[in-house]
Amino acid sequence: MKNWLSTLKTLIWKDLLQEWRSKDMLTAMLAFAILSIFIFNYAMELDPRQRAELAPGILWVVITFSGTLGLNRSFVAEQEQGSFDALVMAVPGLASIWFAKQISNFLMMLVLIVIVLPIYSLLYNQNLFIPGLWLTLILGAWSFSAAGTLLASMTAQTRMRDLLLPVLLFPILMPVNMAVVKAGTGIMTGAALASYQVWLSILLVYGIIMTTISFMVFDYVILE
Amino acid sequence: MLSWNKKLTFLAILSGALVLIAFALVLFYAPVEQNMGVVQKVFYFHVAAAWLGMLGFLVAAVCSVMYLSKGNPNLDAVAASSVEIGLLFTAIANFSGMIWARPAWNTWWTWDPRLTTMTIMAFTYIAYFLLRRGIDDPAKKARFGSIYLIIGFATVPLTFFSARLLRTIHPTIFGSAGTGDMAMTPAMYQTMGLSIFAFSVLFALLLIVRSRLRLNEQWLEEQEAMEQEEEFGEVVNG
Repeated sequence: MKNWLSTLKTLIWKDLLQEWRSKDMLTAMLAFAILSIFIFNYAMELDPRQRAELAPGILWVVITFSGTLGLNRSFVAEQEQGSFDALVMAVPGLASIWFAKQISNFLMMLVLIVIVLPIYSLLYNQNLFIPGLWLTLILGAWSFSAAGTLLASMTAQTRMRDLLLPVLLFPILMPVNMAVVKAGTGIMTGAALASYQVWLSILLVYGIIMTTISFMVFDYVILE
Repeated sequence: MLSWNKKLTFLAILSGALVLIAFALVLFYAPVEQNMGVVQKVFYFHVAAAWLGMLGFLVAAVCSVMYLSKGNPNLDAVAASSVEIGLLFTAIANFSGMIWARPAWNTWWTWDPRLTTMTIMAFTYIAYFLLRRGIDDPAKKARFGSIYLIIGFATVPLTFFSARLLRTIHPTIFGSAGTGDMAMTPAMYQTMGLSIFAFSVLFALLLIVRSRLRLNEQWLEEQEAMEQEEEFGEVVNG
């Protein structure tokens, strides 16, 4: 177990270091996210009275769309430089490769959330420093990266690659989308916890189910 | 012992006859519903088609789990065929539902949980075929397809549950009663039962025929690939 944890830590560190040195993924994700916020402003003519209710929906769309950009890149290094085979040979227990990738994708989503939320707050003059909203988005980001990492590891090996990931991912993510937006709206409008508690449970259940299934089937993705 | 082809012919005749009988029952035996009138009769095929959609995806998910654990390529062929048939009947259920919804709800479409869940489910399975098309290696195609079917099937109940929390006007026939329910007479239950049974037999027939066709296609492709390799070898060596 201790061995497994240290392998995991090394693998995550490898991903983060690689990203830190190039900063390709994060720059593109952030630029796209901020652009989308601007597009939403003009597309929806955001009115100050509607903003509180719309904020979680807009934020979630911005976060998932830019997150998909990042997911598409997450296996590119392994593919292009052929380091995937080396990883499979070097690492005992294939599941740790998936788990490490999942956690590093999740951390990227966290960075995205931490940067995008204050920017949104600033641009729309709206206080988003609400722990419940952050919790909801973080739970959503976990589910997103659990489902997304598994699917990205498959689409990276297909002919269509980037084209295919959103088409595969978004129908699967539907419960998460509904739950994040509903729970987020409940929190933003100051509704009672009981009225949106069920959505938080759905997020938790979805995260657990996706993580478990991915753990079980990931061996088949890299079986060669 | 009957030959495989004779058994299939028998199954084809049986399912044809059953569907015809179900059709006759719907037209002449089942009473006209008081509030909705004749258009309610589309419901017998609508429910049967929706059931086949679910059955198709269930069979596909079970075959996928078995494929991953056993590795028999026939199971993957059955799973893919089952998804195809499930998609076809989901489309039939959606369109027959629209025909009914227009007079009953006064709209072709509403953001009802069952409608949205069915449609999102259909998108999941369309994506499944896109995924398969993007992979050349047959073993990888089967493996990735199976994984996607398992995840897809695991999220369907959650999608349905989530959508149901929002609102529903769709009538429920089994389980908890809602406001838009119809009171069904025994003749209606009998017609619906037979119609579901007839469609299920039809499903079995289609599944067998489609799976065999798919396996034959795969066999042909392998043969062609092998021939091409041989020709290539001759060109290189000669």
